[in-house]
Amino acid sequence: MIAGIIYKRAIADLKQNFTTQVMTTLVVTLSMLLLTFFAMFSFNFRHFVEELGSKLGIVVYLKKDVPQEAIPSLYKRISALRGIEAVNYTSSEDAFRKLESYLDREKQVLEGVDANFLPPSFEIQINRAVFNIDRIREVAAELSRWKEVSKVQYGEEWIDRLEVFSGITEKAVVGAGLLLLITAAFVVTNTIKLTTYAKQEELEILRLVGATNGFIAGPFLVEAMFQGLAGSLLATGIVFATYNYLQSLMSQHPLFKQVSLVFLPMPYLLTIIGGSILVCVAGTAVSMRRFLRL
Amino acid sequence: MTYIDPAIVKLTEVSKRYTVENLALYKISLEVKKGEFVFLTGPSGSGKSTLLKLLFCAERPTEGDIRVDGMDLSTLSPSQVPTLRRKVGVIFQDFKLLDQYTVFDNVALSLEVLGLKKSQVEKRVRDIITNVGLIGKIDRKAIQLSGGEQQRVAIARAVVNRPPIILADEPTGNLDRDRTMEVMELMEELNARGTTIIFATHDEKLFEHTHRRVLRLDNGRLIR
Repeated sequence: MIAGIIYKRAIADLKQNFTTQVMTTLVVTLSMLLLTFFAMFSFNFRHFVEELGSKLGIVVYLKKDVPQEAIPSLYKRISALRGIEAVNYTSSEDAFRKLESYLDREKQVLEGVDANFLPPSFEIQINRAVFNIDRIREVAAELSRWKEVSKVQYGEEWIDRLEVFSGITEKAVVGAGLLLLITAAFVVTNTIKLTTYAKQEELEILRLVGATNGFIAGPFLVEAMFQGLAGSLLATGIVFATYNYLQSLMSQHPLFKQVSLVFLPMPYLLTIIGGSILVCVAGTAVSMRRFLRL
Repeated sequence: MTYIDPAIVKLTEVSKRYTVENLALYKISLEVKKGEFVFLTGPSGSGKSTLLKLLFCAERPTEGDIRVDGMDLSTLSPSQVPTLRRKVGVIFQDFKLLDQYTVFDNVALSLEVLGLKKSQVEKRVRDIITNVGLIGKIDRKAIQLSGGEQQRVAIARAVVNRPPIILADEPTGNLDRDRTMEVMELMEELNARGTTIIFATHDEKLFEHTHRRVLRLDNGRLIR
């Protein structure tokens, strides 16, 4: 019954202070919107780095003195490594032909060059399901220890740079997110303070007739939960609409054919919504403390 | 054999000091029996309001012990204060009503904090508003009522949850003679039903022809 009355009082208060409540919810929405956009950017950047890494694969150059008979056993050994999806062998002759076709009209520069001057190699694709940059590094390090291998390449410089950038982006998102959450908490705290000042007489009367702290603070906490929920739902809704719009734009443009946008997964969304509610409730609890001292 | 204390309110050597220079009450000892109607009088600033505030824990004493309906206020924790306040109905000179609330909503507050069912709240509020003669104005906002009517709403709010004690702090201070008499009649009725009443007033006419006990405060000291 008490819960019903608290809910009823919260609804009555929402109606009574509608403008203030809407303004507070909008500030929460804006803070959560910025946070969600940051999170979306960071998440997509990481996704892009991983996609790129998985496409790069590993190229293993063999020593020139490796006999042709050893190739099948090497192929088997590489295929047996954990997380390997595909292995393609390129002989010296194949590599030469590829170079010729790459040079196209300039292929005369290769005239007189031995067709075996390029080393034979294996191109390895890592299984996407187990893909991570550390696994590529492990595989590359292991392969480079084999006596038949002369060099292993996996675009490490690119991956390292992108990884550093991705790490910085993530830290920036966490920092900006914390600042935005603090801002939202500050605004909610002050709005509730103003509301409680305006309702001081009512709170005093409630205390006089024997209302408990829970009864007095309950409606404010319900309102804060509502503000946190509404603000975060609006923010994630706007980001989702923007994501859909960008997706449709990108699908029409050939330049972006290779790049795919991804929306934030459910755990991220639930964290944003839960965090928003928590910040609003905590802000309200802090601002109510002064009014609840007996 | 169980000893039943006839005193519903008991103060022992109670003092209240706000600042070094401001001593509001000094070593007050008194008892009020269950069902008694006591007047508390004295000039402005004599400590009447402070004494009443101590009885519903709006203030805490600097020294001394206070017991109200079996509760020791010196050991009362903040979470127990609502329990005390449900036993003590308080009426003020300035009514302390919520202007934008209706008569019904103002009175219902006292029952809502108890968590009573809607039907129970409805019935008890209607009954008490009928008793104070305002049933025709139950849906009016408090601000639309006269001073006397507002005080009757305040009385209804103070008694609707049937507290054993009523503390009235100059409840007729803002009312004319006729409205004052109406309030006094309501208080007499409540007392006749067994409610203990402590009535603070500086208006001697209210008790000059009464057999009720009168407690007189002067400069924070109980003089009779």
